[in-house]
Amino acid sequence: MKIRKLIRLLHRDVGYVAFGLTIIYSISGIAVNHVNDWNPNYIIGKDTLIVSSGIDSTLTSEQIVEHLTESFSITDSIKSFFRSSPTTIDIFFDKKTLSTNLKTRIAVIETVESRTVFHESNFLHLNHPKKLWTWIADLFAVALIFLAITGIFMIKGKKGISGRGKWFILIGILIPIVFLLLYF
Amino acid sequence: MKKLFVLIAVVSFLSVNLFADEAKKYGSELTLTEATPISEILADAESFVGKKVLVEGTVVDVCEKRGCWINLSGDKEFETIRVKVNDGEIVFPMEAKGKNALVEGEIFSIVTEGEGCGGDCSKEGEEKEHKCEHEKTTKKVYMIKGLGAVIK
Repeated sequence: MKIRKLIRLLHRDVGYVAFGLTIIYSISGIAVNHVNDWNPNYIIGKDTLIVSSGIDSTLTSEQIVEHLTESFSITDSIKSFFRSSPTTIDIFFDKKTLSTNLKTRIAVIETVESRTVFHESNFLHLNHPKKLWTWIADLFAVALIFLAITGIFMIKGKKGISGRGKWFILIGILIPIVFLLLYF
Repeated sequence: MKKLFVLIAVVSFLSVNLFADEAKKYGSELTLTEATPISEILADAESFVGKKVLVEGTVVDVCEKRGCWINLSGDKEFETIRVKVNDGEIVFPMEAKGKNALVEGEIFSIVTEGEGCGGDCSKEGEEKEHKCEHEKTTKKVYMIKGLGAVIK
């Protein structure tokens, strides 16, 4: 078998296997690239409410929790609660937190929802699972190197590396170098 | 081949659901067995600096974007301590909020700069109830450098 034919065959099949992970890593890459502008893992909603009647902050935390859940007709089961100061209380539900200022009677309900696809993609891309996934991710990285190298030798002639291909490769190498010179 | 794909999908689905409510481990295995009350640490934090401790409390806040810290409630009212982890080494999920956590780590301190009123005492507001000093204040804050945690 000719070497170029073998390269094309391997590039094609390794490319098929790498397809899924490339999409996952790309989606996550864009998502975490903009972490300062949005939350790539969760959709966090906040609603402000007013407690209709005053609450005596000298009541026990349990009594305050009962009063607040009744006031807002919250039927979710309570995970726990916490008073960060004599006038503030946080009540934790599944994927929901009710934070109330007893003095101002302003309550904020925070809901947390996982950002489907992005959250899972980030979990894998940022190697949160560790363990065996580290090896899979390493193999994927090696596969990408393989695809990059075999990719440049797939075509011969004036559209290959000896022709205009070398200029495109040069552009691809120069882009990071220019930015390194600018920012590093 | 099709059967193999179906089998993998079923096993994956079952394993995710079977272990969904179990305690989740983060980072290194816990090595200490005796927990130190957070109130004890906060009462004399300087003496704990550099020491490894095991603490237990409710997760009352989580770093929203990176999961790089959690705040744990203390055994006494109104007390919390922050557990900071190296970005990416441990990532705490938002779902940890309200759950019980056992955390092992090392006490450290940082000096933070508080916001002064910038010379305008009226900005201080009534809530702070302290004399405006027209200058920024510094404060030593004690945290735990988290090494491992179990949250359930």
